[in-house]
Amino acid sequence: MPPASEASRPSSPDGLAQAPGLRDLFIGMQEVALSSFGGGLSAWSQRIVVEQRRWMTNEDFLTGLTVARLFPGPNQINMAVYIGASFRGLPGALVALAGMLLVPFSLLMALGLVYFQIHRIPQVDRVLAGVVAAAAGMALSMGFKILDTYRRDPVALVLAAGIFVAMAFFHVRLIPLVLVTAPLAMAWYWPRASQQELR
Amino acid sequence: MTGMGLDTLAATAAQCTPVSLSDLGRLAQVIWTFLPLSLFSLGGGNTLLAEYHHISVEEFCWLTNAQFADLYALAEAAPGPSSMIVGLLAMGAAWKEGPLWGLVSAFGGELAILLPSTLLMVLASLSWNRLKDSPWRVAFQKGLGPITLGILFAVGLKILTTANHGPLAYLTSIAVCVLMLRTRISPLWFMAVAGLLGGVGLINR
Repeated sequence: MPPASEASRPSSPDGLAQAPGLRDLFIGMQEVALSSFGGGLSAWSQRIVVEQRRWMTNEDFLTGLTVARLFPGPNQINMAVYIGASFRGLPGALVALAGMLLVPFSLLMALGLVYFQIHRIPQVDRVLAGVVAAAAGMALSMGFKILDTYRRDPVALVLAAGIFVAMAFFHVRLIPLVLVTAPLAMAWYWPRASQQELR
Repeated sequence: MTGMGLDTLAATAAQCTPVSLSDLGRLAQVIWTFLPLSLFSLGGGNTLLAEYHHISVEEFCWLTNAQFADLYALAEAAPGPSSMIVGLLAMGAAWKEGPLWGLVSAFGGELAILLPSTLLMVLASLSWNRLKDSPWRVAFQKGLGPITLGILFAVGLKILTTANHGPLAYLTSIAVCVLMLRTRISPLWFMAVAGLLGGVGLINR
């Protein structure tokens, strides 16, 4: 089998490697996690799973991304679950998840242990005050990042504004908020013949 | 200035009185709290941050405001999915019982937040061909978008106001927000520069 090249998007099952076992899944996902330490996790995941290891077609991979974004849970973790489950069901999903998280989670735990030991030191607290200000800017940017998608959908904007006000000013909790608004939103966006005619 | 920061820390802590629990009781509290939230982590999980803040600072008094903000920043700065913040929050919940309980709690909390959504994702992956063309899928996908949008704005505001910010800190946050939207510079740089500014005393809580 040739190394990764542009011929590496197999359109037929013939171009694919043998379905990975549990061990392969664990190692493969670990490789994805390690490669993406600088960011770009889904790009790395695609490169390794589709182009290098040839476990699945690009089409299947993109389907996985759609499912991962649609269902609850962190997108990258859901993607690992999708890959694992596609080949080895529930055990595959759990092994892929473990492979994806082992190193980053251990690292984060080490960071946490250090943090709780030293965060009361005034110098550390001062540096953290700055880091926190920057991180808050990242949090603030999340909404703006997807705002553009809804520019032409006034109903979506009104719904989003209502949810923002309910949470930010009336301190409505997340679970009841979602349980009430999700059915309403789903009813509005339910695919209807009449709506399609309007568009 | 730093004295003031620590005073505010103490003041926040004093406002919140935790229910006294055994170490195992605390672990059960952590797991029981995160388990149902797992299924509500829309839009990749960041939508849960305001809820995490409410739970760990206001409801159960696991952390102070400043600690919550610190842990958010740590999770963002560390490699890997930033949703692993749950591990840090759960570590904080049990920190009084020692680092070992902190670790046990961290694993418990992380498992709790991941397990339900993982099981659902397995079902979804295996039955996607049937789900794909269902009107439920279409309505779910379109309907949850605006909800996620609203929640993310509320989350952004919550994080912004969580650490008691001075004007320069607000300015830093807004500058980083604009840079995040306009450039592709790694946010680690922003955190490093802001950390430096904080270290020399320009940004205070």
